[in-house]
Amino acid sequence: MNKDQFEKFLDAALKRHTRPTPTDDAAVERVLKRIESPLPRQKQPLWRLPNVLLDWQFAPAWSRVAALACCAAIGFVIGIAGVDRRFDGADARLTVASSADLGAIVFEPEALTGARP
Amino acid sequence: MDDSDEALMARVARGDERAFRTLGSRHVPAMLGVARRILGNAADAEDVAQEAMLRVWTFAPRWQPLAQFRTWLTRVVVNLCIDRKRRAPWVALEAAGEIVDPALGPGDKAESDERERLVQTAIGELPARQRVAILLTYGDGMSNAQVAEILDTSVSAVETLLVRGKQNLRRALDSVIDKDG
Repeated sequence: MNKDQFEKFLDAALKRHTRPTPTDDAAVERVLKRIESPLPRQKQPLWRLPNVLLDWQFAPAWSRVAALACCAAIGFVIGIAGVDRRFDGADARLTVASSADLGAIVFEPEALTGARP
Repeated sequence: MDDSDEALMARVARGDERAFRTLGSRHVPAMLGVARRILGNAADAEDVAQEAMLRVWTFAPRWQPLAQFRTWLTRVVVNLCIDRKRRAPWVALEAAGEIVDPALGPGDKAESDERERLVQTAIGELPARQRVAILLTYGDGMSNAQVAEILDTSVSAVETLLVRGKQNLRRALDSVIDKDG
């Protein structure tokens, strides 16, 4: 076999050896059976959550109006009760209103002399 | 109802098992064939086809229709096969060497059988990516661009893989030339 013949032989042999084989129906059935339920949990895309958060709907609907009313009510209650105020800030304001000696509350006496800063 | 692969994938992404089964029966035969030709082993090919389809199901919500579904699935199968080839040695298909000219005499037939066996072995011993490029180009008749997409590389890299693959085959089959020519 010379080189030209060899090239032709090689091309033909590659086509013969790499061509798709007839479908093995039994193997296909086995694979399809193995991918039946129960299937594993699907992985959700990471960008789905921001999309949900950004998907604002302004059309009136009873569920959205109810949600808005709830938010408003909760906000009103929090505002009235003052839950959002910091406790140390509240204490300081209370001290200023009731006593001139603010340092006595805020600072510890010096350990050696007992003097207050 | 739109029955294209992409439409079915959109339904699979929403957890539709029926659409998944339709996709499976449509693509598993071809994927089994690809895996079997790359791995040279029917049992491993079944494992790879199963794994690829489970990935289709699992990652369907994240799938973006940037390429054709078939191309994407073939890429998954090819990558799984290459991973598996790294772990296990190649086993020749038992069917190899059966395609011979019936008009040949006993001596010619034996010689032809021997050549076919050599070719089969040589293809099996190629590096994985060269073998995949040759299988997809010669066996499935894919264009270099399609093969490049499946192998996630450039067209020129695929051309290089094909050239080097054929060079390796020529080197491995030197005995065929020397013996007769």
